[in-house]
Amino acid sequence: MPSVQTGYAPNLKVFKQSLKTAPLESSIEYLISLLKRRQIKNSRPCAIATAELLRQVVAKSRWTDVGKLIARIQDVGQRLIEAQPREMAVGNIVRRVLGMVRDEANEDRTEDGSDTASSIGSPKRQHSHTELTSTQGPPPSSLRFSSTTEGSDLSEVNGDDVFGGRSTPSGRPPLMASHTSYAVVNGVPVQQSMFNLLSATPSPNATPSGPSGTNSPHGNHPLHATTLAERMIITSKDLRAEVINGIEEILDELEQVDDQIAAYAQEHIHSNEIILTHSSSVSVYKFLLKAAEKRKFTVIVAESYPNDHEETHLAAMGKMKDPESEEDGEGVYLKSLQAAGITVILMTDASVFAIMSRVNKVILATHAVIANGGLIAAAGARLIAKAAKVHRTPVIVVSGVYKLSPEYPFEFESLIEYGDPGNIVGYHDGTLVDNLEVDNPVYDYVPPDLVDLYITNLGAHAPSYLYRIVADHYKTEDINFHKPELQF
Amino acid sequence: QKAVAPAPIVPGKEDKTVEFFRHLYKTRTTSIAGASKEIHPAILALGLQMSNYTICGSCARLVATLQAFKRVIESYTTPPGNSLTRHLTSHVLSPQIDFLTSCRPISISMGNAIRWLKLEISKVDVDTPESEAKENLCNAIDVFLRERVTFADQIIAQSTADKIKDGDVIMTYAKSSIVQRSLVQAHNAGKKFKVIVVDSRPLHEGKHLATALVGLGMDVKYCLLNGLSHNIQDVTKVLLGAHAMMSNGRLFSRVGTALVAMEANEADKPVIVLCETIKFTERVALDSFVHNEIAPADELVIPGGALTNWENMKKLQLCNPMFDVTPAEYIQMIITESGNVPPTSVPVLHRLGNESQG
Repeated sequence: MPSVQTGYAPNLKVFKQSLKTAPLESSIEYLISLLKRRQIKNSRPCAIATAELLRQVVAKSRWTDVGKLIARIQDVGQRLIEAQPREMAVGNIVRRVLGMVRDEANEDRTEDGSDTASSIGSPKRQHSHTELTSTQGPPPSSLRFSSTTEGSDLSEVNGDDVFGGRSTPSGRPPLMASHTSYAVVNGVPVQQSMFNLLSATPSPNATPSGPSGTNSPHGNHPLHATTLAERMIITSKDLRAEVINGIEEILDELEQVDDQIAAYAQEHIHSNEIILTHSSSVSVYKFLLKAAEKRKFTVIVAESYPNDHEETHLAAMGKMKDPESEEDGEGVYLKSLQAAGITVILMTDASVFAIMSRVNKVILATHAVIANGGLIAAAGARLIAKAAKVHRTPVIVVSGVYKLSPEYPFEFESLIEYGDPGNIVGYHDGTLVDNLEVDNPVYDYVPPDLVDLYITNLGAHAPSYLYRIVADHYKTEDINFHKPELQF
Repeated sequence: QKAVAPAPIVPGKEDKTVEFFRHLYKTRTTSIAGASKEIHPAILALGLQMSNYTICGSCARLVATLQAFKRVIESYTTPPGNSLTRHLTSHVLSPQIDFLTSCRPISISMGNAIRWLKLEISKVDVDTPESEAKENLCNAIDVFLRERVTFADQIIAQSTADKIKDGDVIMTYAKSSIVQRSLVQAHNAGKKFKVIVVDSRPLHEGKHLATALVGLGMDVKYCLLNGLSHNIQDVTKVLLGAHAMMSNGRLFSRVGTALVAMEANEADKPVIVLCETIKFTERVALDSFVHNEIAPADELVIPGGALTNWENMKKLQLCNPMFDVTPAEYIQMIITESGNVPPTSVPVLHRLGNESQG
């Protein structure tokens, strides 16, 4: 039956194809409706769809300076998040793209600024330039390890008052000392946007000297306007290409993340273990498969009735869909755990407490991870984690970094989604449908104290360390970009 | 459609039993074919009803078993040259018990009752005329049922209903006849409270309870175990039924009960067990492995679902334990017909109960 559906019902693949031809605005609307109708659901497809869409946004929108691009991405991001606020991966990807745009723009600007500044001999700028290059020296990816001051620098420079509350003094060199260089830097974006406007009519020789002269507050170091103008055009083009590159990096990461996580598997699973897992997740599945290459062990699967049991049963029967394969239909399944030599025991969720004393490790999949180290996972995960805690069984959570959300809600109930009560009491139960109150939560919030270890594509971390990874991946000013009332 | 993968037929069937429950696997008799001719028809019917869960729950099974034994005793005639005392137990009752066991392992309360019945038979004076002895035995069974089940249930239900107050939110798991009776009694007494029934696969016993309560116009919420964590905060009391109370204070009950008790304990909600003393046992349990009942794995297969033909999948095992053991520290109180006691008092009550019998 599902194979019949896939041809017609829109899904991630259909969306990806439509992206190539459809105009941008209709693609955005399309994704919004797909998210609302849950035709794209679960973290990974949502993340991929968001990244693909943002790539089109960057490539196709008309933007002339970084500020406009950021505003555009924020606008699209906000609409996507509002479409499906509980798919937190959407917001995560938007934030990462935003952070990357800020980084790239900042990199360009510091290069320009320092060039001009050094040519007029500002020691302070030179200093900060070297400092920046040294910190960014071996960048594992261009998104990480950038200090927040750069971000604040940028937002202020752009005249983007959305983050106006952020105080500049923190981490910034004393204002007086860097006065000259600061002025130059401050001048650049104005010129940049103007030059881009003018670049349509290629007469850079005559006009630019005027604005550059007047714009510089001191006016005592005229810029080499011609070279600057050319550079601006180039950087704008570069920026577009670099941002697109960055988004492709994110897409690559999304593709590889499960395999990267799986690479740690053999460090965590020893032979002859009994491992309990819940529901069906490609990340966990690949993790176990990788471990099975070297060791033999037993996996107990709790079926996660009534929302995910069908998928779990399919996975137990060796029919776990391979997310890498684009085709529908036959031959797209991952290798089954049993074929890898693992004994799989399928149980009901109710049996968890009974068998927990024989379980060595619990490995949980997750829907989203939040900054305090807690996670949102398929309903029932909380019970399993708690039962594991009671039996002193370690709980390992396997999750890609893209699921890690900087949001920290004050009320966890707001993260929980409720599913179809018909899964529990259907119409064949007769009058019960009218008279009985039925509850079918799809997700559980698992507090951080029930988790012992997170394994992400970056390695293994304690739950208490996750806030640090959040800080590495998202810029503070992007965290609440979709909620204007919370920006400060 | 998925072409059925040509599953290699394993020569010599693969062992589908789960290693740590292997000692518990028993094939169930599900038809009267092959039953020995000495099995009484009442027992045959009862056995089948038990194996397909028509009669389910330790109390119901206990009552039904004793009623069936009454029929067996009524139709019994001592063969010449034997005495009832020596013959009845070993030659007539034992095959019946064996048949019942083969249909579904006998419950602890049934075990207690059968032990009592055997004792009663052994106490019959050899000189008593057969008809009188049979009548005495049947009367004794009636008295036993009345004392240990009927009156016990009344007392427990009354005592529990008294504890339910207006505005209470009572959570219960699966279905227990005594919990149902208590709730109904409280409802009839005009108490306004809400019931949350938590349930699980594959038996969905809680749905019967919810149906019954809704039919009486009670305010009922129904959820499966996945909704347990979301509802526990609203609860004021958790009422649980029991399959048996172990002598170390642990509760032996339908699988999943321990999870409910654990969540309730975590949320600081009182967990109250309703249990007749006939379900008390001198056995102890530390985990759910040593003593348990493994139901047929096929019960987990949803008709038409993905697990159809799961036997053909190599190295896939389905495990369907019936019971789990709830640690004593999760239980605040046990309501019995002899009073409300903490779990530590189980062995004491059990001894008192046995002494009064003896």
